[in-house]
Amino acid sequence: MLTQQMLQQKKLLLCWAVIQFSLLLLLQQAFAGWVIAIFALLLLYRLLSVFQAKAPVSLKLVNLLAGIIAITFFLQLRQAGVLHFMLQILLLAATARLLALRHLYEARQLVWVHYFLIACCFILHQDMLIALLIFLVFAANLYSHYRLFSPSVHQVNWPQTGRSLLIILPLWLVMFLLFPRLPPFWQIPNANIASTGLSDTLDPGSIEQLVQDDSLAFRVEFDGALPPRQQLYWRARLYEDFDGRRWQVTTLRQNANRQRAANDAAASKDSSLSYRIIAEASQQTGLFALATPVTSSSNVFISPGGLLSSSKPVSQRLSYQVSGSLIPVMLVSEQEQLLNLRTAPGNPQTRQFAYQLKQQYPQNHALVQALAEHFRQQAFYYSLTPPPLGSNSIDAFLFDSRTGFCSHYASASAVILRHAGIAARVVGGYQGGNWHPQQGYLAVRQREAHAWVEYLDNGVWQPFDPTAAVAPERILNSLDSALPEDQRALLDPGWRQLALLQNVRQQLMHLDYYWSVWVLGFNENSQQQLWRNLYRHLPAIAYAVAALFSIIIVVLLYYRLTRSSTDNTPEATKQLYRYLGKVLASKPPSLSVSAFLLQYASHYPAHNVCLKQLIALYELALYKEDVVALKQLKQYLQCHKAELGRLRRAIKNT
Amino acid sequence: MPNLTLKQRLYQRYWRLISRYLDKRQPAADKVTLVQKLIFILPTRYGWWFVLLIALLYLLGTNYQNNLILLLCYLLLSMFLVSIVLVYQNMSGLTLQCRHAAEGFAGTKTAVAVNLSRDKQHFMLSMHFVQPYNTRHKDTEQNETVLLSQPATTASLDLCGAKRGKYALPRIKITSQYPFGLWRAWSYVALVQYHWVYPSPDTDKPAVNFSSDAASQQAKTDAGETLAPYRAGDSVRHMVWKRLARDPANPVVRQQHFLAQAEPSWVVVPALSGDALERALRYACQQLLQLEQSGSSYGLKLPALTLPQAKGPQHLQRCLQELALC
Repeated sequence: MLTQQMLQQKKLLLCWAVIQFSLLLLLQQAFAGWVIAIFALLLLYRLLSVFQAKAPVSLKLVNLLAGIIAITFFLQLRQAGVLHFMLQILLLAATARLLALRHLYEARQLVWVHYFLIACCFILHQDMLIALLIFLVFAANLYSHYRLFSPSVHQVNWPQTGRSLLIILPLWLVMFLLFPRLPPFWQIPNANIASTGLSDTLDPGSIEQLVQDDSLAFRVEFDGALPPRQQLYWRARLYEDFDGRRWQVTTLRQNANRQRAANDAAASKDSSLSYRIIAEASQQTGLFALATPVTSSSNVFISPGGLLSSSKPVSQRLSYQVSGSLIPVMLVSEQEQLLNLRTAPGNPQTRQFAYQLKQQYPQNHALVQALAEHFRQQAFYYSLTPPPLGSNSIDAFLFDSRTGFCSHYASASAVILRHAGIAARVVGGYQGGNWHPQQGYLAVRQREAHAWVEYLDNGVWQPFDPTAAVAPERILNSLDSALPEDQRALLDPGWRQLALLQNVRQQLMHLDYYWSVWVLGFNENSQQQLWRNLYRHLPAIAYAVAALFSIIIVVLLYYRLTRSSTDNTPEATKQLYRYLGKVLASKPPSLSVSAFLLQYASHYPAHNVCLKQLIALYELALYKEDVVALKQLKQYLQCHKAELGRLRRAIKNT
Repeated sequence: MPNLTLKQRLYQRYWRLISRYLDKRQPAADKVTLVQKLIFILPTRYGWWFVLLIALLYLLGTNYQNNLILLLCYLLLSMFLVSIVLVYQNMSGLTLQCRHAAEGFAGTKTAVAVNLSRDKQHFMLSMHFVQPYNTRHKDTEQNETVLLSQPATTASLDLCGAKRGKYALPRIKITSQYPFGLWRAWSYVALVQYHWVYPSPDTDKPAVNFSSDAASQQAKTDAGETLAPYRAGDSVRHMVWKRLARDPANPVVRQQHFLAQAEPSWVVVPALSGDALERALRYACQQLLQLEQSGSSYGLKLPALTLPQAKGPQHLQRCLQELALC
């Protein structure tokens, strides 16, 4: 049977096994460890049986096995989530099919499910390189699809494939650009994956861990000029609850985040600054904005604290537009002020210090200035590896170790301010970023994570960054410049320090940027824009297409005409002219080609044999229309190219 | 009419309609090249599944607002559309020709050689003769489909002949799903050629010693006559009236064995009709084949026609054709 032959081909089975392995790797985020182990075992068994040319497992056994595994998956449904459960079941179906593959129609079902699973990989991955990998897996699946419907011993017809690609690619792009886009039809389950970025609690050590992560947090394009670096404080979290050691986002705020800020004041505020942010997937709802955002695109909203959030966790790259100003955030309510005056027990020295400051500087602004001066004057150190602190962590930091990272300084400053009777809170976010002038975007990575303080002064939350007092380079330059040499190595482990690789990485990041702007960020708005542009330039486009068509037609006609006119000269003569064109150019029309060459044969005895042979073959090919002679003539001309060249030069020199 | 299932009857009705349309579109020709006019293309069942896949991916991509899934969806869609052209290209330009008339005995399968052009490569062509009227006879099943996975110059197709006679070659159905199995291109090709169905040789009775086994069951009369049940077309003169009186439900006739009277080199078919004629023809066919095999020259005497004595395959063919037309 044809089908049996086809399915026993090792190549095809291997191809499917490799596809499933790569699907497993691509989807591993969605699977628990034991799920991956089960799939890996099944696939390994299949690979082994392919290499040992064993018969496929019986259908009953596979069904039993798949049933049991499916039930265990179902029992874990709550833990895994609906989306992951669906992915698990689909992959299980594909693997089980592969284990008991016997018929051609089963193989077709397998290919179908593979297509679907490959598409599902894009829910979890959108990086350019991984997307390329997924498209490679797709190509492998397409090849196996082709093999199912083509003769069992068959080479791919590359010219035809190339021609079809020439049609498919433009069609594909046009569809992607012009096919109508719709809003989501219904709410869909999301992947539950560990979130990245800032968390809802701020430990003394949490930011130190975050800055060692070199991955991208978000990118920003500014509509106007880039604001000065000292003002690039990307606010993401407000930490307002302090328990003596750690800061937390207050539960009130977490609930309030659901509500949108009242938009009435928006009109009066100036929105001089406009920018677009492309946030990486973080699995969190919190997003980023500078100082006071006023309006935003519809996919995100502004919550009362001046923070941006999306309605559901950001599971894939999200692009949004914000306009706002660089003036500090206003106080929202009395309650907010009270919330930020609460102090925690402990840290007696700090309390003492705060009272002293308060007596010296009754003005809020002056007190903060003095605090900054204190950090600047005294021997405080900025370090990625601060020593561990005791139970009264603020006391231990301020009066003992005096070495800390931005979170230590922010936390200590906020506590001092609260003890001094000034409402203050810690803000988590990112500071600065890497500006790429050619591409025109600011790349903010996790290592730019930062914490600073906001204190209330005349109903306005004034920002205060104690780190700027201790290590001004951190703010003006980058983290690297603020750290001593040995700690910088912590940020750049091993290979990242190589300049070449660094460069390649940079280029890839730029490519990835264009990828996310043009491919991932393409939405209804861009499509409408495109339609409008098309419509506006319709006559121009029509002329261009018409011109292109007429050029093609003219070229085709010309080609046809020249071909038909030269078709009269026989192939043998054409061949001779290709090699001896210059010699034959001086041939008088009265002489035949062979007679002309015969003259040279007698004139140049060195080439006599060669030319005689050539003439003999030529005459055979021309007058006897001998196909073999024509072939020989071609070969002969090819082999004696060098000799003919010498003859040509000899004739030219005389 | 023998009992046909509803499906078969509907198919017959459908085929009658279709062939009326096809006769106008493509009248039988000596040599047929598949061009746009003759090729029909519709999605296969797998193609419909593929459409479902595309729709699902569109939903998935739209709901997740995921451009990459949409990108994949459009890639599949454009591939789906382009494969219409590919499946057409694979079929178009194929030239079919049937050089020799097909001949075979009734009730057996005949292999008909169809010549294919090979100016272009065609893959995975499956061909068979369409004979929906065959379902009238329960013993003949559908013609088997021949799959040509590689380019070939000839295809040998099975053709069933149920009743003797001279028929026009039925339409050939050529289908192909290459390269992705998403679309099926097919064509019904009618070629001007004949299909001879000769009476099947009567192998039950030996040519000369006919009576040995038949005699044991049936009452034997003298002078080379046996009794046989009456069949339509038997002469009433041969009826055994005595037995009819005894058992009116089962009339019996005296049967003559024609070879006994005829010269060995003449095959004679007496003027009969109905089943009796068929029997005589089958018997004559058997005799002709045996005579040709033995190498002697022989002639054929039909009620309306006499073929002079001769030998050789051409003579045999001529004789068999006359039997088929008788």
